[in-house]
Amino acid sequence: MKRLAIVIALGVFATGVTPASAQKTESQPGVTPSFSPVTWERLLNAKDEPENWLMYSGTLDSQHFSGLDQVHNRNVGDLELKWAYQIPQLDRSETVPVVVDGVMFITEAPSNVVAVDAATGRQYWRYNHPLPDDLRICCGRNNRGVAILGETLYMSTLDAHLVAIDARTGNLVWDKELADYRAGYSKTAAPLIVKDEVVTGMAGGEYGVSGFIDSYNAKSGELEWRANTIPGPDHPDNQTWAGDSWRTGGAATWITGAYDPDLDLVYWGTGNPGPDWNGDVRMGDNLYSDSALALNHETGAMEWYFQFTPHDVHDWDAIQVPILADLEMDGEMRKVMMWANRNAFFYTIDRVTGEFLVGKPFAKQTWAEGLDSKGRPIRIPDTFPSAEGTTVSPPVGGGTNWFSPAYSPRTELFYVQAYDGEDTYYKRDEDYVEGDQFTGGGGQRPGPADDYQSAIRAMDPKTGNMRWEFEIQPRSTAGIMATAGDLVFSGSVDGYFFALDAVSGDELWHMNVGRLVHSSPMSYAVDGKQYITIAAGNVVYTFGLRD
Amino acid sequence: MSMRSLWVTPMLLALLSLTTAPAALHAQPREEATADNLFTGTLDVRMGQRVFQQQCGRCHGNDGSGGEGGPDLTNGFRSASTDAGLFKIVREGIPNTQMVGISRRSTDQSTWMVVSYLNSLNDTTDVDLPGNATNGQQLFAGKGNCGSCHMVNGDGGRRGPDLSQVGNRRKPDELASDLRTPDEEVDPRWWTLRVTQVDGSLVEGLRMNEDTFSMRLMDDNENLWSFSKSDVRSFDRVKSSTMPSVDGALTDAEVDDLVAYLFSLRREES
Ligand code: HEC
Ligand code: HEC
Repeated sequence: MKRLAIVIALGVFATGVTPASAQKTESQPGVTPSFSPVTWERLLNAKDEPENWLMYSGTLDSQHFSGLDQVHNRNVGDLELKWAYQIPQLDRSETVPVVVDGVMFITEAPSNVVAVDAATGRQYWRYNHPLPDDLRICCGRNNRGVAILGETLYMSTLDAHLVAIDARTGNLVWDKELADYRAGYSKTAAPLIVKDEVVTGMAGGEYGVSGFIDSYNAKSGELEWRANTIPGPDHPDNQTWAGDSWRTGGAATWITGAYDPDLDLVYWGTGNPGPDWNGDVRMGDNLYSDSALALNHETGAMEWYFQFTPHDVHDWDAIQVPILADLEMDGEMRKVMMWANRNAFFYTIDRVTGEFLVGKPFAKQTWAEGLDSKGRPIRIPDTFPSAEGTTVSPPVGGGTNWFSPAYSPRTELFYVQAYDGEDTYYKRDEDYVEGDQFTGGGGQRPGPADDYQSAIRAMDPKTGNMRWEFEIQPRSTAGIMATAGDLVFSGSVDGYFFALDAVSGDELWHMNVGRLVHSSPMSYAVDGKQYITIAAGNVVYTFGLRD
Repeated sequence: MSMRSLWVTPMLLALLSLTTAPAALHAQPREEATADNLFTGTLDVRMGQRVFQQQCGRCHGNDGSGGEGGPDLTNGFRSASTDAGLFKIVREGIPNTQMVGISRRSTDQSTWMVVSYLNSLNDTTDVDLPGNATNGQQLFAGKGNCGSCHMVNGDGGRRGPDLSQVGNRRKPDELASDLRTPDEEVDPRWWTLRVTQVDGSLVEGLRMNEDTFSMRLMDDNENLWSFSKSDVRSFDRVKSSTMPSVDGALTDAEVDDLVAYLFSLRREES
């Protein structure tokens, strides 16, 4: 780990301890800032400062991997609670905090953010975003985190705005409306900084919206480009939607993407086609729903797409964080993207071309015989939702969902939260009314929760084979972090937070945090001490080694 | 006893202040919240069901019996005791929860229809049953030996579910099959855990709770046990019911009497 220098301001210890780094601006004497501006250089090289967690997925390749190793597989049993921060709203939290030089930024329901001292959890400031009282949100008042560039935070809000907030004070810098919330648009995901722009998606796939990914000038808030996830009638792929169904086709973009600086490509997943469970009104493959998109960052033009679930009728959004790595496969170095999809298949894709390399199920599935040579699923007949109900695995919530998987460059394993469940899927006729839900059915678990299990599975991305699994009872909907201490951290719906050995999958430590863990863990260090943070229920817990 | 009365007074006070405060705040209650439900016909219920399946089913299950995102709505309601209360919840949702409520665009009329549909899921109006509830009550305590495992209104055993309000959650035909074929659909709460401790001794009991790392159970003597899975030698789950079937032990007429008694066990209407 990097050595951290202690900055002394006028004989008083600064609360946040600033690590020495050549890239950061010098602090003025007497006004020691708790953090220094986060330049694009710093974001590009986030791996070089593992004491900071500078973006939602940790680094631009989204590995959700912490380079810190002070806590490792032999001392993790000595973790203890260092502090807890209680979010004043009761909503379950999905936030992954960002930490910059000893300051932590935590987003809260409905669309607020607080800055706290990362060593103590005590508040610097808070920003409360004013919201209308007639929001259209499908699934709770969620917010998953901020992005930072320079001294400005960028956050999505439930009324489909992107706000820029001063990171030292919480003052609003600018506020941009992306779309009309009354038509069903909202925003929940952390944006992604690329150079001097803020790349961001939207939510609303249960409201017949039309998806897009935007890139804004970080300084001015001006739109640089918008990439629509459903092509308009002038584009040949528009033919993959029967009639006018493309207009209300969904394909929202509600989780953060990744970026490859060498290729200058932004990678982003898209959600379900709408209406979710009634495909009869939108015959065709429904491009580019349930897909991974590769967008040129200069222009927003699409370089390639890979559709995981053509003509989805089960709500299996490709809303997963794309994980990028360079792997040696068959004696050749390949730039790949790894993706465990809600449809229960794991994929390794060439991220230069979008070529399908590897694909195998990682969770129970009964809807496809397998994938063909191009990675397209070979569907089993009679697995579509019906009026009387059709039972299929995975369930609506998927073999996995939006919470982050992790990749460790040390073990070369991809860690995913897998669920071996099933649902009975129903289909309904439904007319589109702007601003109303447009789902065309639903799913229902046929048996008690205890009949099904989750497991953390370690996948070999070169083969798609499972290396080990750790079973969780009854289930988990938590993200995963891997660390250089060869640990894998995650949690469960019944309120455990735990650590596994990244190599063997053995359980090494667990703690009852009392309520649903629905976010993803992250790690950082202040003053030379490593911390591990997880939100559970509406509380943000931070653990460290016993002093 | 004196402990108990000490408890009750502050609880009651707290309840009173909770219930009076909102009334004081909103001197003018919303008109629709006090109005009667005018849409209670069979057609209204069917329309309500349609709206429910479209807007609510994805969380509460297509038939309202609960799902991933929302609770069972066929067992009475925790948050409302009147139609007006239900209307308010369906219209506005429940703040700070996933419960979003009906579309803003839906009319008050279709909201009332949803209320009628919700009520139909909880319909316990009397049906003509062949059995005699008074005889059933005697069988329950006597020959049937049901009370050794089940409590009714605070009396009885702990080795089976509390039946004080079983008439709210089970229909007569379901009750009959509960008695005749207890092994069908055993809720995981009533599975049996058999734990072999490190010293080889066996502890067996009803599975109160189990998770990835630990489990809790109640043995036949109603002792509570908690184990860490890593501290025991082994354990298994037995998924059959510990309740004996009444088939062979009781006559058909006696079963009818028990069903009539069980179905009469309901929450008092407010
Ligand atoms: C996004 C998921 C979701 C949707 C959609 C939803 N609900 Fe709920 N509902 C919930 C949850 C979660 C609760 C429990 C809230 C709490 O913690 O009190 C709830 C509670 C309720 C309750 C109170 C239950 C009780 O025991 O008091 C009623 C009644 C209800 N919902 C009806 C509806 C109706 C009618 C609709 C459609 C118009 C609907 N819900 C749509 C999630 C949902
Ligand atoms: C040895 C204990 C035992 C005895 C004796 C017993 N039960 Fe049960 N009963 C259980 C258990 C455990 C369950 C829950 C598992 C299941 O569904 O079978 C149950 C379930 C039930 C249910 C379903 C309750 C629900 O909420 O779904 C009913 C009704 C019932 N018992 C009635 C009776 C009656 C009437 C008798 C007497 C004829 C009786 N039981 C005797 C243990 C017992």
